Amino acid sequence: MIETWVEWTLIFSLAVHIVLTGVCVWRVWRGQNVIDRLIGADLVGTLALAVLVLIALIERTSIYFDVALGLAALGFMASIVLAKYLADQRVL
Amino acid sequence: METLFGLIVILAVLIGTAFSVIGVIGFIRLPDVYTRLHATGKVSVFGVVLLLLAGLFWTPVSPGKDIVLIGLLLLAAPVASHAIASAAYRLGIPPQQLMRNDLAEVVEKENDPTPQG
Repeated sequence: MIETWVEWTLIFSLAVHIVLTGVCVWRVWRGQNVIDRLIGADLVGTLALAVLVLIALIERTSIYFDVALGLAALGFMASIVLAKYLADQRVL
Repeated sequence: METLFGLIVILAVLIGTAFSVIGVIGFIRLPDVYTRLHATGKVSVFGVVLLLLAGLFWTPVSPGKDIVLIGLLLLAAPVASHAIASAAYRLGIPPQQLMRNDLAEVVEKENDPTPQG
């Protein structure tokens, strides 16, 4: 009986996260300055990570956690490199 | 046993979603770049980590992946926010209502070309 409740909360949370991702993408599109867009891109990465984890929960497989691990590592690295590039206009 | 896990999962997912929503609302509404960074830190730390905790209870196989992912996120999110904040300051975005400014001397020391020592 509890599975249906869990199923509904997971789907609700997935819908909320997809809406949030859409809002963030719109915000990145309309960002005032470049740092806003960078924060937005970082946020979109994090929310995509949340969507992946939710899909893993809905499907009850743990294969999606590998994808989420890769996305977390790459998203974090992208933010660092972009921030460094913006700070002093030369990469490495 | 299953219902206990189910209740834990429901609570963790709802609280995680609440944090994500609050983080994104903060990202949109807050006036300044630095305050916005403060808001986005919440999403990646509390939102996703709570979902992963729910994942620990709900997906039957290999909890190791969740713990590694939680550890990576708790390490990565603050570092990324810190890097973006220092990049924003070096780009010259003026922080509003600043109480203390410790970064000013550091940036001056970087910018002036006189060789030290």
